[in-house]
Amino acid sequence: MLTAHPTLLIGPSDWDAERMPRAEFALRIEALWAHAPEAEQAIIFGNSRHHAELAYFTNLVPKLGPALALLSRTGLRRMFVGDAVNMLGAARPLTWIEDVASMKDATAAIAAGGGRALLIGADYMPLALRRSIMEALGREASVADATAQVWSQMRRKSRYEIDAIDAAVKTTGTARKAMREALMSGGGVTDVVLAGERAADAAGAQDVRTLFSQDGGRTLRPFDVPINQQVDPLLAYMAIRRFNYWAECFPLFATQSESTRLYEKAWEGMGLALSAIKAGVATHEIGQLVAAAIEPYLPHPVIGHAFAQRMGLALDEPFCADIGASFEEGEVYSLRVGAMNEAGASMICSRMFLVEADGLVVFDEGLPE
Amino acid sequence: MNLQDRLSDICRRMREEDFALVVAVHDGAHFIETPNPVTVLSGFKSIGPAAALLTSNGSCTLVVTPHWDAARAVEICPQARVVGADDLVAALRVFFSDDFPRDTIGEIGIAGLSFLPSGLASPIAAALAGARAADKLIFDAARTKTVEEIAFAREAARIAELGYTRLLQIAAPGMTEDALALELKGYMKKLGAEDNFLLLCAGPHNRAVQPSTGRKLARGDIILAEITPSYRGQLTQICRTVVIGDPPDELSRKYALVVQAMNEGIAAARPGVAMAEVCRAINAVLEAQGYGVYCHPPHIRRRGHGLGFASIRPGDVSLDNATVLEPDMLFMIHPNQYLPETGYLLCGEPVLITARGAEVLTREQSSLGVAGRWKD
Repeated sequence: MLTAHPTLLIGPSDWDAERMPRAEFALRIEALWAHAPEAEQAIIFGNSRHHAELAYFTNLVPKLGPALALLSRTGLRRMFVGDAVNMLGAARPLTWIEDVASMKDATAAIAAGGGRALLIGADYMPLALRRSIMEALGREASVADATAQVWSQMRRKSRYEIDAIDAAVKTTGTARKAMREALMSGGGVTDVVLAGERAADAAGAQDVRTLFSQDGGRTLRPFDVPINQQVDPLLAYMAIRRFNYWAECFPLFATQSESTRLYEKAWEGMGLALSAIKAGVATHEIGQLVAAAIEPYLPHPVIGHAFAQRMGLALDEPFCADIGASFEEGEVYSLRVGAMNEAGASMICSRMFLVEADGLVVFDEGLPE
Repeated sequence: MNLQDRLSDICRRMREEDFALVVAVHDGAHFIETPNPVTVLSGFKSIGPAAALLTSNGSCTLVVTPHWDAARAVEICPQARVVGADDLVAALRVFFSDDFPRDTIGEIGIAGLSFLPSGLASPIAAALAGARAADKLIFDAARTKTVEEIAFAREAARIAELGYTRLLQIAAPGMTEDALALELKGYMKKLGAEDNFLLLCAGPHNRAVQPSTGRKLARGDIILAEITPSYRGQLTQICRTVVIGDPPDELSRKYALVVQAMNEGIAAARPGVAMAEVCRAINAVLEAQGYGVYCHPPHIRRRGHGLGFASIRPGDVSLDNATVLEPDMLFMIHPNQYLPETGYLLCGEPVLITARGAEVLTREQSSLGVAGRWKD
């Protein structure tokens, strides 16, 4: 889901070698070279908004200025950071790469590397930087954009990645509990949403993004100004990041436990989809199954374009929404089932799961049923 | 001046420069140092990539992504025709094939293209082939703030000061920089700050102010905080320095020097004066004390800056900024000086230029803060 992007990322992002060991990054880099046997160096760009590929190889999530990693087949690993020279110290704890330098030095280093280069995340670069990198590389023919290849490599999650996602999902549970308590104690929209954000922060979240609905779930909106008005039921969207990995949910809060037909149909669709998904199942079949299950209701427009999204290091890259032809073992998804009636009453529910050979495992939020 | 006055001014400039239509674009990644021409034309801070299309007769179309954010755009920008889309480039192509066929509308201007990521800039540039850059036109007209933006800046300044008070209350040894920054961000959001450029770091001898990390605060640390809340899309900033524990005498003396330099800059800022003179006034105080070498990069590159998210005019408080100050210009004055004896020190206030001079938007100006005295 696209959410309002903060101007500066604030939250714990330091590299934790126990959570994501250096050997894990070495395996990822090895796999990159294996897919591109002719490549001599890889140039990986990221900024505070788009950095999944950079984080995948280096752990670095740029909080302020952009960053560029230069990896060579011969073992060179360098990180170039776009912040001022006297600010490089803040980037060092974020990555396992020890050689951290100013972005100003990047093009000279790229030019010195020579040979065939892989460009990753180039579409996020400003035009001027992209041009200067291409000039540094010399002939354009020696460059291949490997971004799609990296996203393909990122699909199957390792044990460390699954642990990070599990921690993020657990934190959504913590946040959801705090939001429910805020609603039950009479809190307005902002009180409820911020209760969730603060609880997630306190639980160690690296980043928290929220949206909420003021119109019965038809549309979602970001925080603009405080809203004291109570909304009941309140549909929200919450994405929480732990150890670089995201989890998301669409919590629905109500002071009354009265179920609606819309609610039942959405969860019925969710149950059917979850019981049908396993490795090798075609994604379009699940899409059709969900659409049939929620009839006569319409798909919710907010998630109409993506009933499922791959989860990991990004929330809103096009590659997340491109779920591929089939579910495959080791992939992590968020499945969203949303329905709307003709009067506009709406409902979205979601579950995150890990695809296994003979089924799936739903991530547990750690909340009582 | 209100938003409508600004739009009228832009339309007048468009007619003078023979533009029939100006297309302002932004990718939705709102950054303190990147101006946003879409917000200048609409007052809207988008979630995703967005465009504002203004004709020289004043009609405005706002294209927002994702499509479901259109309802919010209508609320904030009722004067515009709002189009919700999931693909900005595709929406612009439709606009130019259906509503405004390229061969019928005359000269097109484009603003914001150079700030876009290349993957978005290239297809937009192709869709608007032949369009002339219109950034200067848009941002010249937005060099001063509207009455709404000034009111929002005042509220953001109020929130920033409350955030600083909170920092003094809670900063203590053992707390990480990240935890302190998150607590302040959450606190200010509750007060109404929808975003916050909160640079916060600490150490016994800082080289710069930087994004927070997992480093734990310790007694004797000097905390640097650029507290920069945004209220309804308008940023305001205060720059503060706080000691954990009792401040050494030398630190207090040096901080007073930096405050004196800032006050000289504030006194110099008035209508008709070039921005470079404000910078020069600050430097003069520090140079007189023998710190001339520290008045230039890599130690310092500017003594303040404009405040977005819309326009960041009048630009940096720097020696190379010849912009002549006018009433209703809003910017930061922050000496933010590295001194070899103490490390980097932050002090800075947001100022609004009025006919009488610079009005400081904060109620209590920078002084060396003390925190954590009783919290070991």
